Amino acid sequence: MRNLIISLCAVLFGLIGGGVLMAVTGHDPFEGYKFLFQGGLKNSQRLGDTLATGTPLIFTGLSVAFAFRTGLFNIGAAGQMLFGGFCATVIGLNVDTSRPLLLLMMIVAALLGGAVWAFIPGLLKARFNVHEVVSTIMMNWIAYWTIYYAVPAYLKAESVETESRLLPDKATLKSTFLSDMFGGSYINMGLYVAVIAVIIIAFIINKTTLGYELKAVGYNRHSAEYAGIKVNRSIITSMLISGALAGLGGMAQFAGNGANIQIGVLPTQGYDGIAVALLGANSPLGVLISALFFGLLYSGRGFMNAMTDIPPEIADSIIAIIIYFAATSVLMDRLITRIVNRRRAATGGAGTSGPVSGKENA
Amino acid sequence: MKKSLSLLVICMLVLALAACGSKNNGGNNTDTGSNSGTNNGANNGGEKPSFKAGMVTDSGTIDDKSFNQGTWEGLERATKELGVASKYLKPAGTTEADYMKEIGNLYDAGYKMIVVPGFKFETAIYASQDKYKDANFVLIDGSPHTAEDPTPKVGTNTVSIFFAEHESGFLAGVATAVQLKEGEAGFIGGMEIPPVQKYNWGFQQGVKYANDNLGTKISMKKENVVYQGSFDNSAAGGQLAAQMYDRGVNVIFTAAGGVGVGAINEAKNRAKAGKTAWIIGVDGDQYKDGVYEGDKSVILTSAMKKVNEASFDMVKALQEGKFPGGQTLTFDIKNDGVGIPSENPNLTEDTMTKVNEAITKLKSGDVKVAAEKGDLIK
Repeated sequence: MRNLIISLCAVLFGLIGGGVLMAVTGHDPFEGYKFLFQGGLKNSQRLGDTLATGTPLIFTGLSVAFAFRTGLFNIGAAGQMLFGGFCATVIGLNVDTSRPLLLLMMIVAALLGGAVWAFIPGLLKARFNVHEVVSTIMMNWIAYWTIYYAVPAYLKAESVETESRLLPDKATLKSTFLSDMFGGSYINMGLYVAVIAVIIIAFIINKTTLGYELKAVGYNRHSAEYAGIKVNRSIITSMLISGALAGLGGMAQFAGNGANIQIGVLPTQGYDGIAVALLGANSPLGVLISALFFGLLYSGRGFMNAMTDIPPEIADSIIAIIIYFAATSVLMDRLITRIVNRRRAATGGAGTSGPVSGKENA
Repeated sequence: MKKSLSLLVICMLVLALAACGSKNNGGNNTDTGSNSGTNNGANNGGEKPSFKAGMVTDSGTIDDKSFNQGTWEGLERATKELGVASKYLKPAGTTEADYMKEIGNLYDAGYKMIVVPGFKFETAIYASQDKYKDANFVLIDGSPHTAEDPTPKVGTNTVSIFFAEHESGFLAGVATAVQLKEGEAGFIGGMEIPPVQKYNWGFQQGVKYANDNLGTKISMKKENVVYQGSFDNSAAGGQLAAQMYDRGVNVIFTAAGGVGVGAINEAKNRAKAGKTAWIIGVDGDQYKDGVYEGDKSVILTSAMKKVNEASFDMVKALQEGKFPGGQTLTFDIKNDGVGIPSENPNLTEDTMTKVNEAITKLKSGDVKVAAEKGDLIK
């Protein structure tokens, strides 16, 4: 409940901040937001586009959130996503078999690719205590340049040098059924996979021994160790799962929303995943909702630009402000705590601990 | 729960305040319309805009000193001179879906002419030209085709435009060689894609032409021909330029967008310290970007392709009802679509004469520039 309020406040503050920016630059915030939300929701095609835009974010958000639960800050979702997507593309371009089997193989490849990319920082953390923030960022760039080399060398399109050949339709998550239902949108089966992933991760975190151990390590590494939990193994396991999720996000992006992999691009969904996880309070369901919210913002932005005089750069800043507030939900938590404490102090020392902390704050 | 409610109320109040502020500001600022992604054509002598021309940007920003900027400058000029309303949108990514989304947004907002720069739009335009039959499309540096089949199919409502970058690079090469007489030249490219490669190959042929026919001694070494791999890593551009200058290179041709900006900055630092360091700009006239002291610039000259003219011409053609739909146009030296700037403060009269001779020979066909690698470096 409290998490929900924090997240809603973060979104609200973000929207207000964006509105102030619109107002300061001489645009009508109400009109702006009207078109922003219309752009994402107006008709079934736009709704479908919003869901599709949100799909990779669900994976990366889930990835970051899962690592957070074990006290790990996985900034490398972008690289894991890229490499997972690359592995899936390799399978998709080179294997010719029936569609369900092919898609299954691609999903496994994406999972493994992402997991391998996260395994290295996990191992370094567990064995040598190398901080995962540093090592995952480094892995991002290793992925970036690996793709940069490997795609033109092995998967190059005939005419275009900067992207891989296009995947045949049967090797993508595209679904004519979904597209038709949403009026020609590029929504695809990635959304199904994402929802399944959310359910599985929620189950792991809340209902299994593994989830319990990982959370225990996240709360306090030393006491977890004292309680007999193998901390190092937990760290590696957590990174593996986190990376696998991000890798799957890569497949949703490169073989779902897109149909090939491009070089020279570090997917923005990786870093956005951090904001999604923070806004979703690191819970799987929260991640699902906040990812779709981000999808709405990204999807509606263009329509807002087209219908109003708000330039694209301001629109980017507005979204950045919303993300910023979302990411600082910790501050929001403090703010609420302080207000609550002050209220307790003001009501005349009904509790025992309330007045003391209230005085300290005053 | 009560407390959180009061917090929400506070938030609402702030939102209301923000809204009030906007109305006041709105009145003041809309007149100037400055720094906005939109040009309202109605400013021009009270004429009503005849139609709306929109643009979707390629990867990179609108002020990339290159492709996006050139296209947009053409549209801005159309707004000023023709009274056409114009606007650009920036897609969130570079997939076909991202592009389609923005094209759809422009179309829904009433933009019936859509100009897009870059080969990455090829498949998106292919889909759009059939989907939006009553809109006109201009695709610069590409031709529409499907994902599976690279055979171009330019719809009757589409024009695809190409440039002869190699001729532009050739002229810059001749100008450089004649001006500096002897020394070493280098090349920094962005991604290894056809337009950039053609600049490089043309430049090398230009230098060779001058060496063979005009008595210059400019050499180019293999290690000084580099593709950085992106169009936005200006730090890397600065490093590459520094390495080349340290290896004794006097002049670097940059065809690399933001990477080139880094190289220009490195050259400026060296020029300020009293060393010689020349840069040859690309796409537009970059002289002003290279100014380091007073009006002295490190930009020797620029290999231009007039993207702005192309986009302006198309808007004009559509307004006059002469839109060449279904055609593929090539802007080359024959129609002055490529070349070097008319004013080059760093080039002598003599150099300009020789360059103009070369232009005449190119136009008459006496000299031909190959758009292929052949035995050139990279």
